[in-house]
Amino acid sequence: MFSMASSTLEITVISGEDIRNNRKPVKKNAFAVIRTDSQPLCRTEMDKDGGSYPYWNEKHNVEIPQHARFITVEVQCKTSAGDKTLGMARIPVSDFVGGFVPQSYLHFLSYRLRNSNGERNGIINVSVKAKVPEYAASSCSSTATTIGVPFGKTSCYGGVVPGVPVGVPIMKQYYQG
Amino acid sequence: MGNCCSDEAGGRAAVGGTAASQDNPISGPNDAVSHFLNSRGYQGLYSQIELSYSASDLRDRDLLSKSDPMVVVYTKGRDGTLEELGRTEVVLNSLNPTWITKHTISYQFEIVQTLVFRVYDVDTQFHNVEVKMLRLDEQQFLGEASAVLSEIVTKSNHSLTLDLVHREESSRSTRPRNCGKLTVHAEECISSKTTTEMILRCSDLEYKDLFSRSDPFLVISKVVEAGIPIPVYKTEVIKNDLKPTWKTVYLNIQQVGSKESPLVIECFNFNSSGKHDLIGKVQKSLADLEKLHSGGQGENLFLPSLVGQNYHNKVLKSQLFVDKYSQNIQHTFLDYLAGGCALNFMVAIDFTASNGNPRLPDSLHYIDPSGRPNSYQRAIIEVGEVLQFYDSDKSFPAWGFGARPIDGPVSHCFNLNGSSHHCEVEGIQGIMMAYTSALLNVSLAGPTLFGPVIGNAALISSQSLANGGRKYFVLLIITDGVVTDLQETKDALVKASDLPLSILIVGVGGADFKEMEILDADKGERLESSTGRVASRDIVQFVPFRDVQGGEISVVQALLAELPTQFLTYMRTRDIQPISC
Repeated sequence: MFSMASSTLEITVISGEDIRNNRKPVKKNAFAVIRTDSQPLCRTEMDKDGGSYPYWNEKHNVEIPQHARFITVEVQCKTSAGDKTLGMARIPVSDFVGGFVPQSYLHFLSYRLRNSNGERNGIINVSVKAKVPEYAASSCSSTATTIGVPFGKTSCYGGVVPGVPVGVPIMKQYYQG
Repeated sequence: MGNCCSDEAGGRAAVGGTAASQDNPISGPNDAVSHFLNSRGYQGLYSQIELSYSASDLRDRDLLSKSDPMVVVYTKGRDGTLEELGRTEVVLNSLNPTWITKHTISYQFEIVQTLVFRVYDVDTQFHNVEVKMLRLDEQQFLGEASAVLSEIVTKSNHSLTLDLVHREESSRSTRPRNCGKLTVHAEECISSKTTTEMILRCSDLEYKDLFSRSDPFLVISKVVEAGIPIPVYKTEVIKNDLKPTWKTVYLNIQQVGSKESPLVIECFNFNSSGKHDLIGKVQKSLADLEKLHSGGQGENLFLPSLVGQNYHNKVLKSQLFVDKYSQNIQHTFLDYLAGGCALNFMVAIDFTASNGNPRLPDSLHYIDPSGRPNSYQRAIIEVGEVLQFYDSDKSFPAWGFGARPIDGPVSHCFNLNGSSHHCEVEGIQGIMMAYTSALLNVSLAGPTLFGPVIGNAALISSQSLANGGRKYFVLLIITDGVVTDLQETKDALVKASDLPLSILIVGVGGADFKEMEILDADKGERLESSTGRVASRDIVQFVPFRDVQGGEISVVQALLAELPTQFLTYMRTRDIQPISC
């Protein structure tokens, strides 16, 4: 088992929707900042004319610590008094790691932004892809990937277990390493 | 041509083009649907017709400015019911508008396809709202016209001009009130998969007025045989810039005819009054634009101006440059299917007690000894018969929910075939047999939960991804009632929106399905989970069974309408290409 202190993510900050500044539409210069709890990861350029519907579509490669459980996205805008946070969303790492999808799957995710008062303030759209390091792809023990926690709830609802072919495909992937 | 530049007052958005695959991607004959229709006895032509609209002499409803018209198009069924086909954009401040938005409709030789067109004046307070969200009872009705599709298509110039009528008003007065005219133009779609991507820029645009800024935008129009330009694309408006570079223009060759078709590119100065000043124009085909790009030169704009009695083309200093020109193949839905992608059909049936005791004739699950199918059976047949053509192995996972299998607790996702280790049945017949035998082996219970079934479908689709499959899954849920776990269902749908999965929900019986419409993003907002995550794609299509009747075109259109778009959005955003043989 490799003790990787961090994993690499390719995050594309795509756009924001219906983001307001004190209930009024944002005029311009909104940008997004992505960070973990302890450190900043990346920030986008300002969208000079996007207003309340900023569009960035910027791809950034970031490293997140192995133990991180959330990454935070903040949409801010440049005001005369400095950078003001308009809305924030926390993205659970489990939304793009784990489950049955391949590790290199391109996830398209959207989240509700909330302002400092906890009020809803628009939506942020991102895409996230875990970068698989070459050596990890050829090892059999990739942590937190395909054999991890099954998607969402367990597949066993009520009485009869639904006939989902869990056996062969997963094993094959494990040995393929 | 009148004011052909439509805008949302706040947005000044780009209109037209192919961009993020919002178009109806069914272009060209669709084999599966043809087969379905042929099996019903429809032996006819199946081609796609594209409708475009313009109007003249519309009534002026607003006091201080002109009307802001929009057209809503309906198809009229055999029983007279109207079904909305689509809406155009809103054109600001014009009584003689030409709309850019076009609608595609399949043409069938042996059916009388009645279309109804209603023109509305959209109130200023709604100019920021997406047209599909507008409530028509809040807008000013300007007039209505009706035509049969074959009338339009058989005319030599493929255009039909109709008088708009305002029925209420004409019954009050002795003379019918003139509400203006609507011209509908119909063109057959030649399927074309090539999309051009261009970045256009202008230099040295001239000030139109010393005291105001220039906010330029471009309108690209194609010139049809009669010499009339039809707008196909409008860029976004750039504020206060005499050297503007607009965002990438995506145009499908089919929208302009061919690469050599003459196009008119006009540069206007945006005016919030709706009267945009023409700054200058050029006449170039896509092939010419490609040459401009490779040569790196610019083309001078010209401005037709009146000199004495004649129009003289004044050549301007301003130039148009093509900073980028590339051609991409945009694959259609059928391309993907031919290129290694498969659709997988799954079905889930509601066995809750609200359906009624299956042994009694008034139950939605009553199996009629005469063989007449009940609502569930009809829904399975109508949808399954079309989708089965896309599913290569005809092996369909089938589940029931909301019932107690023999000596067991209530299950919200049990295998319809009664097996404990596999959920698939073979073919539509397999679904029907499993369904009828399940009815004998379970006791109806409740409540109506969708979460488990959706979660299971999502599990299957994500596992298929893990195996490198290029499959797209379609889950059909047939239910008689309103879902009990609305938030859990939303949570499951939000998670599933990132997977290759679409969900069709058919409501049978007489329940009020208003709450279910929330799940269909067309009729409401984007779905939000309890943890603050939002659906990244609209994957749900809901339709009450009343609309799904055998023999009507709406069967196929209503339920399948969004499917190809959902499929293509998924493929294209992830840049998945069909495998060419």
